[in-house]
Formats: sequence, C-alpha cells, structure tokens
Amino acid sequence: MTIAMGGWLERFLGRGTASVTVPPLDGALKPNSLLEEAQPGITVAAPDNLALLDGAPVWSSGAQLLRLDGDKPSPLATLQSDVTALACSDAGLIAVACENHGISILDRGGKPANIALRDAGKYSCVTALTFANNDTLLVCIGSTDNPLSAWQRDLLEQHRAGQLLRIDLKTGEVRQLANKLAFPNGVLADKDGSLIVSEGWATRLIRLGPDGRMSAQLIEDLPGYPARLARAVRGGYWLTVFAPRSPLIEFVLREPKYRRAMMAEVAPENWIAPALQSGLSFHEPMQGGALKQMGILKPWAPTRSYGLVVEVNENFVPIRSLHSRAGGRRHGITSAVESGGRLWLTSKGGDEVVTINL
Amino acid sequence: MMRPIVEMKNVTKEFYGVAALREVSFDLAPGEVHALLGENGAGKSTLTKIMAGVYEVTAGQLVIDGEPQSFKTPAEALQKGIAMVFQETSLVPSLTVAQNLYLGNEKFLNRLRGIYISAQQFLQSLNFGVDPTMFVSQLGAAQKQMVEIARAVHHKAKVIIFDEPTATLTPEEKHHFFALIRRLKKDGVSIIFISHALEEALAISDRITVLRDGQHVITDLARNFDRDKIINAMVGRALSGELYGKDAQKRIPRPYGQKILSVQNLSMGRMVRNTSFSVYSGQITGIFGLIGSGRTETAKIISGVVKRDFFHGGEVKLEGRSVRYRVPRKAVQDGIVYVTEDRKIEGFFETKSIAENIYLNLLSADLNKSGVIVSYSEMVELAKEWTGKLNVKAINSDARVVELSGGNQQKVVIARALVQKPKLIIFDEPTRGVDVGAIAELHQVINSLADAGLAVVVISSYLPEVMNLADRVLVSRQGRVVEEFAMEEATEEKIMYAAVH
Repeated sequence: MTIAMGGWLERFLGRGTASVTVPPLDGALKPNSLLEEAQPGITVAAPDNLALLDGAPVWSSGAQLLRLDGDKPSPLATLQSDVTALACSDAGLIAVACENHGISILDRGGKPANIALRDAGKYSCVTALTFANNDTLLVCIGSTDNPLSAWQRDLLEQHRAGQLLRIDLKTGEVRQLANKLAFPNGVLADKDGSLIVSEGWATRLIRLGPDGRMSAQLIEDLPGYPARLARAVRGGYWLTVFAPRSPLIEFVLREPKYRRAMMAEVAPENWIAPALQSGLSFHEPMQGGALKQMGILKPWAPTRSYGLVVEVNENFVPIRSLHSRAGGRRHGITSAVESGGRLWLTSKGGDEVVTINL
Repeated sequence: MMRPIVEMKNVTKEFYGVAALREVSFDLAPGEVHALLGENGAGKSTLTKIMAGVYEVTAGQLVIDGEPQSFKTPAEALQKGIAMVFQETSLVPSLTVAQNLYLGNEKFLNRLRGIYISAQQFLQSLNFGVDPTMFVSQLGAAQKQMVEIARAVHHKAKVIIFDEPTATLTPEEKHHFFALIRRLKKDGVSIIFISHALEEALAISDRITVLRDGQHVITDLARNFDRDKIINAMVGRALSGELYGKDAQKRIPRPYGQKILSVQNLSMGRMVRNTSFSVYSGQITGIFGLIGSGRTETAKIISGVVKRDFFHGGEVKLEGRSVRYRVPRKAVQDGIVYVTEDRKIEGFFETKSIAENIYLNLLSADLNKSGVIVSYSEMVELAKEWTGKLNVKAINSDARVVELSGGNQQKVVIARALVQKPKLIIFDEPTRGVDVGAIAELHQVINSLADAGLAVVVISSYLPEVMNLADRVLVSRQGRVVEEFAMEEATEEKIMYAAVH
C-alpha cells in the first residue's frame, strides 16, 4: 500500500517515510541520569575509541593513544594525524586508523609492528576496527565520499557509501565484504563467525554472514545514531549511541532543498544536525522546548546531543541503559568496554573518559 | 425500628425452573442507604428488579408500605415511588438529554426550549455537567450514567435503586454522586446501592446485605463490617491475599521482551494528541489515566476500530512494520486484538448464545478448521473448551449472553478475543462491573497470557488494579502518554500526580 501510494502522496499525507516521527525512549531505554551522575572520570580532549589491551583500557585522543598508568593517563604512542579508530588483538597487536594516513599496526609497546599493509594509506573515514581473530582485521569505512570530520554532511546528504572490509594480516589480502552501507559505525565478530554491524544513518544493527551478505536486522529504528559495539559480561552487548534523533532533524532530513541551502550558507557547527556536544554557543539552532525558563532546562528538552549507552541481551533486546540527558555534559558517547565489573566509556563530546561500577 | 418501606418475605424467583433467588428476605427502612453486595450472579439485580416491577416473584411476598404488592410493569412500581437506575442504560439514544429526562411526562404540546431550560437547571442542581441539548447517543458512558441517575431523581421516587452507578464515573463525579446520595437521604429517600466497589459501600451505606448464589448471607449495620468480612461473606473464602494484596508491591516485574508495538506521534482529533509509547512482549503494560485521557481512543486506533488523523496522524509500527488499518479485521489477522470497555455495546451479540458468540470471532479471524464451511460441532467444541478454561457460569449452554451476569459476560468477551490467537492483546477496563471473585479469575487469565509471552496492555482507571497487574505503568493525560513508571518506583501517589497534573 505504502509503496503503491508513491512518495509524493506520502509526503502530501505525512505518512510512512514522510512521517517525522522518532521512537520514544521508553521501556529499557527510559531516561535516567546514571551516566551523568557517575563519578568524575579522566579529562582528556575528545577521547574516541576505547579498547582493551591485555585487559587494560587503551583509548585514542586526537593523534595520541593513551593508557592508564595507575589512575592517570599516560601516552602509549603518537600517530601522524587524528586517530579515528582503534582495535587490540588478543596477541597484543594494536590496529590504528588515522585520517589521511590509513591503517597501521603497532605492537604492545606502541612501536610499529612488523606487519605492513598493502595500500595502507588509502583508507579514510575509518569508523571502527575489530580483530575477528589474531590475523584478521575487520574495517568499517563510514563513507567513501566524505572524511570522518564531515560526518554531519554525510548524514545530511544521505550518503550510503559505507564499506566493510576484511584484511588478512598474514597475506595482506583485502576483501570488501559489503558496500553501500549507511555509515557503518561499529563492528563485532560474533562467536558463530557472523558479523554484527551498526549502521549509523539507518539507525539499526544488522547481522552479516561471514561472506558479508546481510542475514538479519537485529535492532531497527533506534532512537539515536549507533556507534561502536562491545561485548558485555552478561552475554549480551553494549551499544553506544553517539547522537540522538529528533523530530526536527528528521524533518530537515526530508527537505533536500532546505538542507542544501543550509549547508551552503551556515557554518557547519550551527547546522540543524545531530552533534556530539551542544549548548556551547547561542548561535546554535534551538527549539522552543530547550529554552531555559527560570534558569532551568527541562530534562525532556529537545537536544542535538545526548549521552546514551544501551546494554542489549544476546537476542538484542535492550535490557538497560545509561543516559546523560539534555543539558548534561557527558554527551557523544562513541565507545564502551566492560572490564572487571566496570564499564569504561568515552564521551567524545564531553572530553571525558567515564567509568561506571556496574 | 420504623416500619420498612419495602419488605421482601422469603422471596424465590425461578427462571425456567432454575432458582436465581431462594427464600431471600430483605427490608429497607425509610431514609436509609442500603448496600447490596455479592458476586456476579448472586442475585442482586434479580432482587432489585422484582422491587422495580421488572420481574414477578415465583414464591414469597413483596410488601410496599405495609401492603402486599405485585407489580406487573416498572411503570406501576414507579407510581408507587420505586425507581431503578439500570446497569444497562435504558435511555433513548436518538433523543436529547432533556427529552429523556421528561420522557413519559410530556405535556400535550411539548416545547423543547422550556424543557431544555428546566433540564439545565435540574442537572446543575445535581452538579452534573451534561449539556441537556446533546443527543444521548453522543454521550460517553459516564455521562449516560449521570442522565440515568438524574432521571431517577427527577421522578421524585421514594425508593431509588442504583445498580452499579459508580462503575463509569471519575473520582470527581463520584464525589458529586455521593453528595447527591447524602442529599437524597436527608430528604427521606431510601436508597438501595448495588456496587462492586466495597470501599464505597462501606463509606456511604447505613446497612449492608450480602447475597451469595441467590441466597441471603448476612445483613448488618455497615459499621460492623470491614473489607475482609464482606469479601468473606461474598465468596465464602478469604480472597484478600489474592486480590490487591499488600505483597503486590513486592512482586518482581517481568523483564522486557521484544518491542512489538511502537506508537509514534499518533494523533486523532482532540482526543489523541501526539502520543508515543512502546509495548513489549512477555509483559503487561498498564495504562492508567482518568476518563477522557485518550487511552481507549489510542487503543482503538492501534486495533483499527477508528482511524487516526488523515494528515500527519503519526505512525503505528507493529514489529517494525508501519501499519494503518481501515477495519479491525486486518488488525486481527496481524494479531492485534482489542477487548472493549463497553461490552454491552461493542463486546458481543447479546441475543446470541455463548457458543455462537465465540465461534463468530473464530470465523472472522479465518481460524476455523474448514475454510468456508461453518461447522456446528466445531462451535460446540470451541464453546466447551473456552467456557471450561475461563470458568463461564451459565444456567445452560444455550443461554444468551444478555442473560449472563457482568463477570460472565466479560469472560465471554475475553474468550472471543483469545480464540483469535493474538500476539498483542489490549484489555480496556477488563474488570469494570465485575465482582471480586471474577476479578481474581480474570487477573489470573491476564497474567497467564503475559507469562505465555504475549504482549498484554491493560487500560484501567482503578489504581490498585494497575499496581497489581502491570509490569510497567504508562500514565495518560490529555490524549498523550506523559509518564512511564517501572514497577519498583511506582506508587499510587506518583501515578495519580502524573495523571492529574
């Protein structure tokens, strides 16, 4: 019916793809302030990707890799440009992707390892890396059209130019498993060999077979744009959501002419688009509900940025969530790992690495 | 003690040889509020209908003001000053409220303007906010009830029988209603008050009579009763642990299952306004709200009974698929079943038998065994299965549904829903007008559905019921779900606060 009606009729009636609706945050996703009120974490500039190296957290911040030395961060390595993704193998290898400099492999101590990748420099906009095993690296390329720094443009222009690659570190063979993905932003190899991929702009999790063919849609219609995934101790997964969907953004996404004009005329930080942080400048777009009244910002206020991490069980049913709501600081959660009864999170928007006792 | 205004001596009433009342004696003093309690089918309605002239006694005697009487019609009873407010509304839907109030005592030339004005004054004196120029068919259940009550009061009856008057009223309307009863009592009117809400009976009445299985159990002053004592007398066993027990607070809610239904930004006129919520399988989602908060309308949009706004009406997503039903049949085929709050109008075919009612729904869901062929034996089999499962009590298997008591009717309605094998079942006020014994049974049924993995929604205006059944509570106000409570944090105060403010 919906297809038969045609796009123009849907637009006229405000139905189907033209309905500007966002799924509510309820049930297991009911807002709380567990993330916002967690104890103070480690302040670092724009921490992005967390990984566990020999059981201890390692994360990227700008062009640096940091690890925990006691309770203070200490540098592990410095790369040529901003690190966009990071993964550690059980054997102690660290795979790092840098914008403009591609993927390189480091050893435990942060020195270049003895593995050279063919055409390593050509990969750009790498959003996530993961080791399927000690010799196989999975690479999410968010978009072949835009660099990672232009992710908002990639969303607003509605690109589906993402790729999933598999690199064999022994032979150097690179295989493209899937393409035309809507900003793949996280990947995890499951026990049975299949791959779980979070598709950012499609706001869903999908399962791909080992050959890259899509076999199932695991979660659909998320209330935000998903980022990286990690395994949870209870048998499920942690899913980070780096920015919220909102009716305003959904509306703008349905108005191509307006978007083109906005992108041409307005500074990128003031676009009506999801963001990793918000509320910094009065130039930012704002909706009426976000107006402070008597010095109070309502917790339900429409917001461009949000902090959310969701635990799903092995059947991908959400079972709990941690939030930093509108007006909070710990927004733009891009990765999470669970280690020793604690959850480590990077708040890229809030410049903080947060730990929460589970 | 004064001479009773109504006295019944060893009254027996039989229908087709089956006794609905056996040797019941009852008396009503002038200016007294007398509560009549009992389970569904205990014979309360039969007893009062004999007084009101609907039925005649099979044996025994009815004495009014010291004179033996036998009313042939309700009009005769009304002449003697006995009026009854019926459980099923007996208003004329195509007439206005004022015309209904004055029905039967119009002058030769009936001037509408005059009766509108006097009806307006009269309704206002009772504090009932009903527009006298509205057609009764346009009124909601609660307002119909108010008109019904107003009509009984208007007849200046000496005895008024209220059969479950408060079931459809909001707390505020109830407050006005009880004030009215006190006012009537002061004017010397005797009132018989049939209710399933035991707290109300205890609060308002002077004396309480309990019936069970057509027999008189106990009559005593209200102050000699408490809740547990009444329940004990009504069902012959202690129920309080099962029903709205204290430990209800401590039960462990069921975990979230798959998100089966996602309602996003749904709107319909002024009744449903941009509401959004989700329903998960394997648990009971309770929706609490005052009357008029758009809960029923939302449920009806989901199940295809009514349609959302034509332009920008929002989305209903069933298992991720956007659905929009023009008729309920498609919804039923997709596994969405709505159990109505107004069973007498929407719930069943009242002159058909239980078996026919249940089988019709099986046919409408295309679930009967042999395609186009209607099978009598399948129908009988099905009816036997479901009357057994849900413990439907009827005089015989051919009984028409209209002859059943409220609780049994509700069980038939639920059986009709369950034969359609739903994935998502929405109960709208499942225990309205149902006695405590049947409530416990219905709650058990609802719980077992959720345990079996179905997504269950229970809409209720009765807080203890929501608290007792639901695994998560959504609060609806002014056409929109405004708050969600997990069971651990929900208290009656918090829910009520969210529903009112």
